[in-house]
Amino acid sequence: MLSLLSNPTILGQIVVNGLSLSAIYVLVALGFTLLFGIMRVVNFAHGEFVMLGGFALYYLYGMLHLPWLLALVLGALAVAVPSLLLEWLVFRWFYQKMFQSMIGLLGLSMVLMFTGLLVWDAYERNIPRAFDFMIKTHGVILPADRLVTIGAALATLGGFYLFMVHTRAGLAMRAAAQDVEIAETQGINTRRIYQLAFFVAILLAALAGGLYGQIYAVSPFMGERPLLVAFVVVILGGMGSIPGAALGGVILGFTESVLGTLYGGSAAAYASFSVVILLLIFRPWGLLGTPE
Amino acid sequence: MAQQTGDGMTQGPALALALRAPRSRAIKYGLSVAAAVFLLVWPLFVHDRFLYHMAITLLLAAIGASSLHLIIRTGHVSLCHAAFLGVGAYICVNLVMRLKLPFAVGILAGAGGAALLALAIGPIILRLTGKYFVLVTFLFGEIVRMVFVDWQSLTGGANGILEIPPPSPFFADPQHYYYLALALSALCVGLCARILTSEIGRAIDSIREGEQLAECAGVPVIRIKVMVFVIACGLVGFEGGVQAHYSHYVSPQAYSITESLNFIIINVIGGMTSLVGPLLGTGFIVITPELLRGYVELQQIIFGAILILVMAFLPGGLAGLGGRVQWLMGRARGAMRP
Amino acid sequence: MHALGKRIAFGALLLALGASQVSAEEVLKIGGIGTLSGGGTAWGLAIKRGAELAIDEVNKAGGLKVAGQTYKIEFIMYDDQYTGQGGKTAAERLVFQDKVKFIIGPIGSNPVLSTIEITTPEKVLVLGDGYTPAILKNEAHAPYNFRFTLTNLEFTPKMVKWVKENLHPKKVGILEPNDAIGQAVAPNLIKAYKEVGIDVWSDFFERGTKEFTPLLTRMIASDVDALDLNFNAPGDSGLMLKQAREAGFSGLVYQMGGPSVPENIEIAGKSAEGFISYEMYDFTSPVGKALTEEYDAKYGKGIINSQLPAFYNATKILFEALRRAGTVTDTTKVRDTIEHMDGYDAGVYGPLKWTGMETYGVNHQIDLPFFIVKVQDGKTVPLAEIKP
Repeated sequence: MLSLLSNPTILGQIVVNGLSLSAIYVLVALGFTLLFGIMRVVNFAHGEFVMLGGFALYYLYGMLHLPWLLALVLGALAVAVPSLLLEWLVFRWFYQKMFQSMIGLLGLSMVLMFTGLLVWDAYERNIPRAFDFMIKTHGVILPADRLVTIGAALATLGGFYLFMVHTRAGLAMRAAAQDVEIAETQGINTRRIYQLAFFVAILLAALAGGLYGQIYAVSPFMGERPLLVAFVVVILGGMGSIPGAALGGVILGFTESVLGTLYGGSAAAYASFSVVILLLIFRPWGLLGTPE
Repeated sequence: MAQQTGDGMTQGPALALALRAPRSRAIKYGLSVAAAVFLLVWPLFVHDRFLYHMAITLLLAAIGASSLHLIIRTGHVSLCHAAFLGVGAYICVNLVMRLKLPFAVGILAGAGGAALLALAIGPIILRLTGKYFVLVTFLFGEIVRMVFVDWQSLTGGANGILEIPPPSPFFADPQHYYYLALALSALCVGLCARILTSEIGRAIDSIREGEQLAECAGVPVIRIKVMVFVIACGLVGFEGGVQAHYSHYVSPQAYSITESLNFIIINVIGGMTSLVGPLLGTGFIVITPELLRGYVELQQIIFGAILILVMAFLPGGLAGLGGRVQWLMGRARGAMRP
Repeated sequence: MHALGKRIAFGALLLALGASQVSAEEVLKIGGIGTLSGGGTAWGLAIKRGAELAIDEVNKAGGLKVAGQTYKIEFIMYDDQYTGQGGKTAAERLVFQDKVKFIIGPIGSNPVLSTIEITTPEKVLVLGDGYTPAILKNEAHAPYNFRFTLTNLEFTPKMVKWVKENLHPKKVGILEPNDAIGQAVAPNLIKAYKEVGIDVWSDFFERGTKEFTPLLTRMIASDVDALDLNFNAPGDSGLMLKQAREAGFSGLVYQMGGPSVPENIEIAGKSAEGFISYEMYDFTSPVGKALTEEYDAKYGKGIINSQLPAFYNATKILFEALRRAGTVTDTTKVRDTIEHMDGYDAGVYGPLKWTGMETYGVNHQIDLPFFIVKVQDGKTVPLAEIKP
């Protein structure tokens, strides 16, 4: 089976598939790890914000035919802004309380998912391709929209990095992630930081949802898999570590792509899980987390 | 129990003292006896088969919830508890149906098999702290479930094993099975209580509160953690066998992350500081969805909202409700003082 | 004279009262079990809505008339969450709390298997689905349950023959979910292909995956000239079709199972052009159009799951069986009536036909016509109808 790798077409496709998988995983995991890193909240409802982002793009682009990039950004904002109400209603009771947040947000996930079911019915919907052509170079066939997804993810990651490192707000967030109490004594308004972190996390999730929904399909249940993936990526990368989430996403995406292509579905699943377990046993803080 | 209102300061310690008073201990004792009598006697007066089903489900789930509680008391949250439930179930069913061994042997062997598996992985994974342990157990649980699905010759694969016989024709009647479940459940939960109130229980609490400190004080931390983990997984494996012969049907779906998460939810909602927690939690999680069934479409939405509310306002779980009520009453009394 | 007149009037009044008592409405509870949460919800809704449409028709016409008594039908449906445990709890509740005698559904091997463990000893009739043969082929010979949809054992041999004769693939690729359906079905499917001389490449994936490209890439590298989406769920089938085309697969794509034609068109868009599929129902027929109108009126426009007509059919057949048997409590009599109702046309699928004795040891498997359709210009075009 390894001989497949010598075929440039197959190799090219493995790389592209891997990258596009990784791109999506990273986007979803980023928001998840932000919420844990700063507020110690395990957002079991994260998948549902991804889902809402998917529906937002479905309506703005699929139904209203706004220009794609505008629809994507507007859609993410359309989810993140009203979610601040949810932050006030639900999330703020669970900050710094890991277990309570797990169950409480699991409850929120059920509320969102089944309300979605009432509103949108169970069947899967399609968002039309923004870029409908295929790029053919050197015998490798690449769907253009996958490349755009990779591009969008990289742009988002870059923007996020700039925000965290080169703005005062980002600095405040990083301080809060390290130690909330000390950050408070330094004059940082914890409440504002939490709201900002929440907003950014949901924005990322909704953006990921739009891209994810466009590549796959949109339905009230579409968030379940992204949540699972976010969980594993974040473990892999180290909980609370942002570069870790990025690295974890890339590794998981590639592993799935390579092993799936060479050895088939089940083998890929067993292998990825075993690798992560072994990693956790020998390096439990993940690839880029810090040992406690 | 520190209070924040002025008069609450004097209420708190007074309340605590009041609880330890002989009178309230007598009340607690009396309540326990009344509960035991009720559990033994109600099936003789109420012949509702669906209620028997609910009661049996509740009693058996209590075993899993209580055993997970033991693990939680050592400071670890296991997301693979249902995997051990499955291990016990499949071992028991195979021994009884293929090797024609008696039911009692089957359930004990199921418990033993689950315990052995726990012994194999325990010493390795119990060295991991908090969130990493959670995540490793999550992945381990998934692997075990995938093995259940793939090892078709032993487990029937994703379609499962059908037509599992009851332990004996006498127990085909749910009313009789109820008493069996009651006895076995009482035994298992009793074992958990015994462990928690013994020397080992104190060691467990010291480990949870400060591992390094306990180590320095001479507590064999990893050995106790492994022992508790093995016992807890053995208990839930025991539940697996008993449950399989009640449902007459097993499949890997019943042993997935959803079920493991259910046990966790039960413990968090019920309260993680005492054994009363998982018992209350089991009742809540088993009964509430049935009460909501009438709402069909809104069922899950309402249940989710209830979870949010309970966790937001009772962070200590349902077991903390008593304390909360007393605290609120204390505030009210304080407010009424001149 | 006056007194007699009075007595006659009084007697007439009593008779009138008595008669209206007899034809006063009673309620007949019908149970339903199906998946109303999680991935299988589309199927659970198909059961719920199919049954509800049939029940509405009967209630609007004044109720179900059985042996001189008129019944208003009440439908009680519970979620089984697509698990055995869920099916068991739902069945327990329906049978012992709500005391129903007739259950529509469930779909899915696990819930059906655990449901019949409960309903069979209690002689409650179950009109359901579920692919695994064990549902009908068991020691008890499925005395109180019927299957109202075709399974692979019924239509695969016929469709494989059609595929061989009309599409002539040399090597077919199939991707199966690693779950109850996949494990029950894959071996039979592969066998059926090999028996007509078609080579097969197959692989399993974990349920929940949305990214099939790695597997499809492998498949393409194995020189497959046709992709059979077989029994994959609607969402998965659509994605496989779309991703296969994107991965560069130019061979034939068809589906010997499902069916999920409207969902596939929705998800795959232009990639669905030329896609051929097994179809359970012809929504373009006059009956199909009428059903679509009824559905749209009650539930709004949307994709109608292909399983719905089967349960609509099942409910209507149940009602006719109750009428013919003249009882709503003697389920054994109703069961016998259903078994002998061959030829009855409920207006959904044509004349009823039972089959299955050879395969399962009992004739509780419905035999239905099925269709083969093709997608052209985004629309579904019938290619063939295979009669039972």
